[in-house]
Amino acid sequence: MNEAHPRRGQRRLAFFGRIGADISHEMRNVLSVIGEYAGLLDDLLVLAETGRPLDHARLKTLTKNLAAQVKKGTETTERFNRFSHTAEEQTASFDLIAVVEDVAALVQRHVRLEGHRLEVELPNREIRVTNNAFDLQYAVFAAVGILLKCLEKDEPVAVKVDAEGSTAALSISGRAAAGDEPGGRTSRLVAVMNELGGTVNTSWNDGTLSLVLAVPTD
Amino acid sequence: MGHEKVLLVDDEREFTQILAQRMESRGVGVDAVASGSEALEKAKGAFYDAIVLDLAMPEMDGIETLKRLLEINPDLQVILLTGHASMERGIEAVKLGAMDFLAKPADIQKLMEKIGEAKANKMLLVEKRTEQRIKGILNAKGW
Repeated sequence: MNEAHPRRGQRRLAFFGRIGADISHEMRNVLSVIGEYAGLLDDLLVLAETGRPLDHARLKTLTKNLAAQVKKGTETTERFNRFSHTAEEQTASFDLIAVVEDVAALVQRHVRLEGHRLEVELPNREIRVTNNAFDLQYAVFAAVGILLKCLEKDEPVAVKVDAEGSTAALSISGRAAAGDEPGGRTSRLVAVMNELGGTVNTSWNDGTLSLVLAVPTD
Repeated sequence: MGHEKVLLVDDEREFTQILAQRMESRGVGVDAVASGSEALEKAKGAFYDAIVLDLAMPEMDGIETLKRLLEINPDLQVILLTGHASMERGIEAVKLGAMDFLAKPADIQKLMEKIGEAKANKMLLVEKRTEQRIKGILNAKGW
């Protein structure tokens, strides 16, 4: 079963909006921290003008922390920029690992606000895929969202990628409450994966719920 | 203004830590916590002139924390810090009983002014409650 055209556009726009909103929050947090560091530096300078000596070790720590926030903001912006460009192309050849790494970082905040954390384990090699990277990222986001509804309190979401033969498998799993299965919540994810020429396999093993997204590799 | 006691609630620990330092250098006593549930525990056991509360937090968000704080003590003066571009949630918080809201990153002077207002509000409420209590005692004695 494939997704109807208008619904597809709506779903893609909603996904883009959700990630955009999360990233703008994340950036605002980074800017807030930078703003407070700048304020603190200003406070120290005002005190220095009244005769209190500047603590050089403290200043060094402050500038180091400022640089770390700038790095964090730059990385987030770069990831969001790459993500945004994937919305422009229907099909392209890309490194699945790099794309999963980006989308995992972009959904971190969403997962954190739900009271969980992402644990990402990616192989140290390229896995080339020719597909729609934007929709594949949506599939990862949707699978994480489905799992979050079933997870036990404080349990992490594990994201793993592996490839064997001509198929790559993205596994999204975590310890879920007994009897809490995704059921009908996967229908849209299944439709999207069908369009990507892939599959979704849901399994339950010893208290761990796994959603495995499989796509063909190059 | 001076000697205010403030509870700062934000899951962004680095932000909280620096803001606390800046507030302390201005003579404000600060307790900082990283979640709504910790804020509830603190509010049960201590007196605060103001509670500065972040809106977006995991587990229990700012709105839910605000509701529960006011259940513990309806006189609490809560200032929401909102990272949202829209003011809707800040207005929602004020309707629920927050004293005010400020967009994040908040200017320290504005925040200090709000804390001063919170302290004044709190003192008025304390005076009002004391007056009511005295009136109640006098009425009970028929004076």
